[in-house]
Amino acid sequence: MCHRSVGLVQGAIERAGMPTVSLSLRPEITYGVRVSRAAYARFPMGNPFGEPNHPEQGRLVFGALLDLLEEATGPEFVELPYRWRRWEKWL
Amino acid sequence: MFNSVDTDGLQEKFDAWIGFVEANHHGKNDRINQEIAFEPLKNPLSESTMALVTTAGAHLDDQTPFHVETVAGDAGYRQIPHDVDQSRIRFTHTHYDTSSAEVDSNVVLPIDRLSEAVAEGRVGAASPFHVGMMGFNPDPSELQDVSGPAVAAMLAEAGVDVVLLVPG
Repeated sequence: MCHRSVGLVQGAIERAGMPTVSLSLRPEITYGVRVSRAAYARFPMGNPFGEPNHPEQGRLVFGALLDLLEEATGPEFVELPYRWRRWEKWL
Repeated sequence: MFNSVDTDGLQEKFDAWIGFVEANHHGKNDRINQEIAFEPLKNPLSESTMALVTTAGAHLDDQTPFHVETVAGDAGYRQIPHDVDQSRIRFTHTHYDTSSAEVDSNVVLPIDRLSEAVAEGRVGAASPFHVGMMGFNPDPSELQDVSGPAVAAMLAEAGVDVVLLVPG
């Protein structure tokens, strides 16, 4: 339900003139509520930026969201390639 | 750029989820964004001020916790200063496992990651405050009609240019 709340607030902010990007762990909800820019990560609920005290994981995800904010020229819903507990491939 | 999400079947899953929420929480659940608003970046990120919004139930130790006891939900919002002592951030939310966030609030409210991006020059500046909300709102009418626009106005007033949102 957090994802619907994010999507509705995201829509309100975007309509007020500020570009937005969001992270999603539940793609069907983010898709259904309809937002401008979102990135889906296959992580467990409660861990959108990775494991606690692993800033290198959070940095990867945060950087990906900045990329999406910069590069999207229209509505985009992308999937991040990172996999839980298999971070070494990307770090 | 990353691959697009495979959206095949997602609308059906969303409709089924709405049915589940209606059956279990007695909420009105016909709320979505009627159109996808898309606002292009006006300036490079390196010249933009960014705010974070999380629905993970984040608030400070001296702020009123979110109401989580009933299906009424809580459409309220709390300001969390960017330079706050992060040990003061609390998570009041009963519909996701808050244990990771309690160990390291950056897993749902990445204040340190934003500070790093500003230090690197990737983002122009951090908003003076970020926004904590609690996402369990079976009836999202107040969230969509009142809180969303109020948060947007509050951020615009603070000089925010771009916003990054995170669920619990």
